[in-house]
Amino acid sequence: MTAQFWLVKLGRMSLTIFVVLTFTFIALRSAYDPAQAMLGPDATQREIALFREKWLLDRSLFEQYLVYIKNALTGNFGMSFRDGRPVVDLIAERIPKTLALGGLSYLIAILIGVPLGILAALYRGSALDRLVMIFSVVWFALPNFFLGILMILLFSLTLQWLPSSGSTTFLHFIMPAAALGLSLAAILARFTRSAMLDVQSKLYVRAAQAKGVSKWRRTLFHALPNAAIPLVTIMGLMLGNLVAGTVVVETVFAWPGVGRLLITAVSSKDMAVVQALVVLIAVSMVTVNLLVDLSYGLLDPRVRSRT
Amino acid sequence: MITRRIFNSLLLGASTLAYTGVLARPAAAQNTQLLKVAVDSLWQTMSPVTGFATSSARIYCNFYERFTVVDYLADPNGSVVVNQLAESFERDGAVWTVKMREGVLFHNGEEMTAEDAAFTLSDERYRADDAYEPRGATFTEGFIRVEAIDRYTLEIETQSPDIHVPAKLSSVGGIIVPKAYYLEKGVDAFGQEPIGTGPYRVTTFRSGEIMVLEAFDQYWGDAAPVSRLEWHVVPEFAARMAGVVSGEYHVMVGIPTDQEAQLASYDGVNVISVPFSSYAAVAFNTLPDPVDNPLVDARLRYAMVQAVDMDLIVQALFGDTTFHPAVPFNFPEYGEFYEPDLQSNLPYDPDAARALVAQTDYDGQPLIWHITRSFYPNYETAAEIMVAQWAEVGINVEMRVLDNFSMVYQRPFHLMNFGNATSFIPGDPYQPLWMDWNPEANRSRADWKTWAPSADYIAAGARFNSALTFEERFTAFKDLSAAWQEVTPALFMWRQVGSFAVRDGVTWHPAGSEMRMFGGYLSLA
Repeated sequence: MTAQFWLVKLGRMSLTIFVVLTFTFIALRSAYDPAQAMLGPDATQREIALFREKWLLDRSLFEQYLVYIKNALTGNFGMSFRDGRPVVDLIAERIPKTLALGGLSYLIAILIGVPLGILAALYRGSALDRLVMIFSVVWFALPNFFLGILMILLFSLTLQWLPSSGSTTFLHFIMPAAALGLSLAAILARFTRSAMLDVQSKLYVRAAQAKGVSKWRRTLFHALPNAAIPLVTIMGLMLGNLVAGTVVVETVFAWPGVGRLLITAVSSKDMAVVQALVVLIAVSMVTVNLLVDLSYGLLDPRVRSRT
Repeated sequence: MITRRIFNSLLLGASTLAYTGVLARPAAAQNTQLLKVAVDSLWQTMSPVTGFATSSARIYCNFYERFTVVDYLADPNGSVVVNQLAESFERDGAVWTVKMREGVLFHNGEEMTAEDAAFTLSDERYRADDAYEPRGATFTEGFIRVEAIDRYTLEIETQSPDIHVPAKLSSVGGIIVPKAYYLEKGVDAFGQEPIGTGPYRVTTFRSGEIMVLEAFDQYWGDAAPVSRLEWHVVPEFAARMAGVVSGEYHVMVGIPTDQEAQLASYDGVNVISVPFSSYAAVAFNTLPDPVDNPLVDARLRYAMVQAVDMDLIVQALFGDTTFHPAVPFNFPEYGEFYEPDLQSNLPYDPDAARALVAQTDYDGQPLIWHITRSFYPNYETAAEIMVAQWAEVGINVEMRVLDNFSMVYQRPFHLMNFGNATSFIPGDPYQPLWMDWNPEANRSRADWKTWAPSADYIAAGARFNSALTFEERFTAFKDLSAAWQEVTPALFMWRQVGSFAVRDGVTWHPAGSEMRMFGGYLSLA
């Protein structure tokens, strides 16, 4: 990994974040008047004027942009219009809940998706393979919110086994994590299967077979490491799906995380919060992409030697 | 002979005794119970006036108190006002002398005094150019001096004699705030950590998630019936329903009309519907903006009213839970102003509507109707039926369902949805007939204004506002209503209703749209 490699990567990351930040700022400021949305339909004209003055919305777009960029560079993303608190504080208190839910969902996706994909590849064309593919199609096709509501109706309303909303106990995790994790597991199972099928026909796997290496050893130590690059790529991309899924699932299950904060901020036109969250998501995605790129080098010596 | 007015006076007196309690005792230790309520949302700030919204006003009553308050136990329609933090009112011309209750503590332990009460209504807080909560000016219109005379007495002077000051102080404008704490915190922080004098104090408030209230041990009145009250934000109806059916929540709000029967069918769940002090309505844009607006012709507006069978629509969508007010402002919550047998000048009559359309220059151009998505239950469904009925008489209306009011308010449009609240002076039509339509109101002045008050309306309004007896006011009310109907700038559709689901073991009476979890409103098995 040369200095040039790092400079190029960091330069691209910075540019991406700057473009996202600028686009979000202009799009939000041009789309609507937050004063009316925040103050409600009964607000007086004077109240609206005072609100605009307080939040600098009476200044030109360019002037607002300069102030915003200047503050953002120092980590100050402004105050929430909704409750007058620093945006960074608002997001910071929601992140742990989202990380906990997202982490568990991701774990479910990997623990279910990867083994199922391997099994489907190993027993290609069998009933097990078809079963895995059916599971994959069904769970991938079911929208998160629909799956979530179905779960609530079954496990909370009918069976009364699990709480319908909230986040205080482990039981509260089960349904939202399953709703999020199972759809990701479905994607991962399909990719794992096709990646494994790709490498299973390679010469080095057949050579291992000729040397008498057992089926499971061939799969785990010869095929899987070579199938890892496309899998790591899709796992990185899955984080984007996870963010989108979190927004929906947190709303359905009243989970007090970042996703629900985003929904609330969008619906109430709390621009400062929306902007900060979009930037946070962008930073997360480019960081994950960078980590995926780095992992290629760890997984494949040929990539390491090229960088 | 006991007349209606004598009866009302007796009722008011009896309610005052019942509510504030000649027999009120200091708060004793309440039973240690937890009550959990699932709500669709909590407004972002609890600043009494700035944060005034459906999802905040319904819970204010549990931690804030006012000079006076509506007693819904005495009259579920909300026409009876009794003293709460004020002990007495005396008027001498344009000056009211208000004696405040002694020994009332705020949740921070400070005693409430006339200084707090005066600050609550002050220019600094409501009417100055840099007021903390400028919307308060609407609730204190005509106040020119508010001054603490001694520790428990204040004077309120109005521009002209105003007999409705005590009733006006039952609005959110009359919620008394602790001056020192309010000034120390500022309005935004106060809205996040509110302090009042109510039976519960706020211990946790995260607007997107939860509000926790705990019984206030030093409350001046009867002890709160539960020690802890939790309001959980559960945006999704299915999750709220599952929660109340499974017993996670004791009470839930926000039930779609078509789901009420389903919810009521579950064991242990009861559904209560109550009328709110608000009417869903459609406003006609009567102004030449856009320039070719055909609705400037009053005959086309009359036709639109006569073309719609609103009674049938309301019956189909709400059953018997609410009604269509055939005559604008002839609302049952207005007691003596209400005339049950009054007939509409513009009854449902499609033939008359067609004839009116034929008299106008209207050539069938689309009339744009801006509607806020999902803001009023069943509004979009009703709108679809209305559009079809208008089409039958040759009026072409195009619905545009938009995401929020800021989009609804963007011109051009010919019609827009709105809700007209009716409770500012309980038992009096001041708010829907004058406060919300007068020349200074948003509907007359905002960028999205839809009418210009007529000379007749303004003249009748002056008489209405200066009336000091019921007879004078009633006469002016009739004139004012007639002047409004002459223009017909809106069609009132139905009185809004709200539904709540309550678990067995919880006996609870909603107070209009307020969720009072104390006093005679709540008891637990």
